[in-house]
Amino acid sequence: MFGGIGLAVAAALYEGAFWLTSQLQSYAELGDYLLRLGLSWLFLTFLSFLAFSGVVTALSTFFLADDLKLLLAAPVATRRLFLARFLRTVAQASWMVVIFLVPVLMGVASAKCVGPLFYLTAVMTITPFAVIPVAAGTAVTFILVNTFPARRARDLLMLMGLLFAGSLVILLRVIRPEQLLTVQSLPEVTDFFATLQSPVTPLLPSFWAGETLFAGLQGSHDLLHLSALWTTALGSIVIVSTASERWYFAGFSKSQEASKARFTKLRLLDSLAGALPLSPVRRQLLVKDLKIFLRDVSQWSQLLLLLALVLVYLYNFRVLDLERIPYMSGVLKNFYAFVNMGMAGFVMATVAVRFVFPAVSTEGAAFWIIRTAPVSLSDFLWSKFWTGLVPVFVLTEVLTIIGNEFLGVDPFLKVTTALAIGAMSFALVGLAISLGARYPRFGADPTQAAGSYGGVAFMVQAVLFVLVMVALVGWPSSLYLLGLVRRRPLTTAQEVLMIISFATAALLSAAIWLSSMRAGVRALQRMGE
Amino acid sequence: MIAIQSLVKRYGQFTAVDDVSLEVGAGEIHGFLGPNGAGKTTTLRMIAGLLKPTSGRILVNNHDLAVDPESAKASLGFIPDRPFIYEKLTAGEFLQFHAGLFGMHGNGVGSRVSEMLALFELGRWENELVESFSHGMKQRLVMSAAFLHRPRAIVVDEPMVGLDPRGARLIKDVFRKMAEHGVAILMSTHTLEVAQEMCDRISIILRGKIIARGTVDELRSIAGGGDAHLTEVFLKLTGGSGLQEIDEVV
Repeated sequence: MFGGIGLAVAAALYEGAFWLTSQLQSYAELGDYLLRLGLSWLFLTFLSFLAFSGVVTALSTFFLADDLKLLLAAPVATRRLFLARFLRTVAQASWMVVIFLVPVLMGVASAKCVGPLFYLTAVMTITPFAVIPVAAGTAVTFILVNTFPARRARDLLMLMGLLFAGSLVILLRVIRPEQLLTVQSLPEVTDFFATLQSPVTPLLPSFWAGETLFAGLQGSHDLLHLSALWTTALGSIVIVSTASERWYFAGFSKSQEASKARFTKLRLLDSLAGALPLSPVRRQLLVKDLKIFLRDVSQWSQLLLLLALVLVYLYNFRVLDLERIPYMSGVLKNFYAFVNMGMAGFVMATVAVRFVFPAVSTEGAAFWIIRTAPVSLSDFLWSKFWTGLVPVFVLTEVLTIIGNEFLGVDPFLKVTTALAIGAMSFALVGLAISLGARYPRFGADPTQAAGSYGGVAFMVQAVLFVLVMVALVGWPSSLYLLGLVRRRPLTTAQEVLMIISFATAALLSAAIWLSSMRAGVRALQRMGE
Repeated sequence: MIAIQSLVKRYGQFTAVDDVSLEVGAGEIHGFLGPNGAGKTTTLRMIAGLLKPTSGRILVNNHDLAVDPESAKASLGFIPDRPFIYEKLTAGEFLQFHAGLFGMHGNGVGSRVSEMLALFELGRWENELVESFSHGMKQRLVMSAAFLHRPRAIVVDEPMVGLDPRGARLIKDVFRKMAEHGVAILMSTHTLEVAQEMCDRISIILRGKIIARGTVDELRSIAGGGDAHLTEVFLKLTGGSGLQEIDEVV
């Protein structure tokens, strides 16, 4: 299936590049200028991506990979080890860029009707282009690891990467790119492209790559920029290889040191938990889960990206201009209330599969502590449920209530959707906890649990449940709203049907919640059989 | 005390533990010996409540594990062979958490935690994350947790693995003191010197069945080995080890 999707995306990229280049060709010199600028822009984007990817990949291949202890203990020369690892780093860091570039360049080449020599030029260009930023990234990793322990450097990078991604998402949304498509904003488009040109650009490998390929597309050669690419690539390998002889082993040795404790004093958390009306056992389970979560950057850093997406989500409702179609705005607003409810349901499912589903798996190999303690597995699982429910409930209620407020929907719908989201959060958190207990992955990385069999099974069931709930709540609400629009009171039969529909939604949620929890407890009890 | 009666554990057609009965009285250190795969860890994990027996009965401090698991577990301390602990908790937090699970609360918990950390020479690591601990330190932390709630019985699987000589000495002393205070200790080990030095009685298990039980002297007489070392007795009872082949291979 994934292969099919990949081929479809490649075909779409090829078609898109072909179509765009064909369109540009009808503008003669301007078209060529834009194509040249486009290539430069494309490679500039990849340059930064490859440099960042190089840093992260080098950290893994040079310092954290499991086979390193074996390789470093073997009689292998440092330079040979470096070259082998560097090759792997380049391949791992750049495969996505290459896969993206192949159909794009093929599309451009087909549109320009160039000969096979262009493809050779493309290979000769992309190879050194990938090596240069990855070498720079590897050098940065060497510096980072010699400054911080590798595990701390990994956390730092993960955080930086997610902050970068989160800011990018917010920035891209707030500049409102849809406005660039309006005729009035044409001057801004040319300004936008103008900003891409700066005095520094010709000194970057992305510019050299763009120029070499552009020359290839014109049927000529740009040996100057091609030479610049190759000499820089080979030079950077020599420099980083020399640096590795001096710094690599020192860094690797340092990477074996444990990171210092972070947030070791979480007294405030202890005090807050102490104030909650919980049994000592449940309080300890809650405090333990929160401390482990807060101290594991890989766990909470993804919340930053989630926060960015939530802000974008709410911003979209804020800028939704429904007043442009006044006669429809009332109906549309109320229709969007259900879109909002469905979206909040999907957000809930996504958050639950990432943060709630792995709740049992995060116990890992230490689960024996719970199982040998005088704590019932039911108490344990319910504690996990409440710990997962509170953030999911608050997040999705906030999304729904603020979204509906921005839309200005009918008060009846505000209450109905808020109640429905509340019921859905109980059901979906219960389902996630239960499937997490039935298909635990104690030895695996909890951040990867969403892709496991249980995670996929949860997502399928969660999506179906959300759709059913939207139908069960949406249909009676539409009856009510139509009655309001037509200024006609509801018939008794309609009122009964509405009550049945709402009651079915509530019962369905309660049934999924409670039966899931029971199944989860039974699965935990069966573990010892 | 710990009592197991006719304990059986089957995995499909394979019987890992076959009709094992055993009793460890208050104040007794009972060694549980056997070759790899004999059924020692399976038996201990059933007593700890990690595995459900196919049949048989387990009593801890007179509480039936199947009928009243929480009371049975509350009077037991379990020390597994591999010390997996929550890596992102500090040593102090782990013990506080453990105390909470065993229903300990109030002002006395903090001082008990400090007392156990001091006893197992981990006091200066109280606020360090477990992820920075060596294997031996983790093992000592697990032991301090097992004794934290003043259990009446201890089940311990391979206590000396990963411990330095000082740590091993410390553990032996702690076990003896606990036994003097009436704690029943059931200990599996491959280190026969430790068993010979510490255990009041020893049970030897082979292919899921107890094949011999008694004091070291009683085992010697069963094996017919005069005043042989426990290693000789063990090898004789469990069918030797093919040591004669080593020379040929080397």
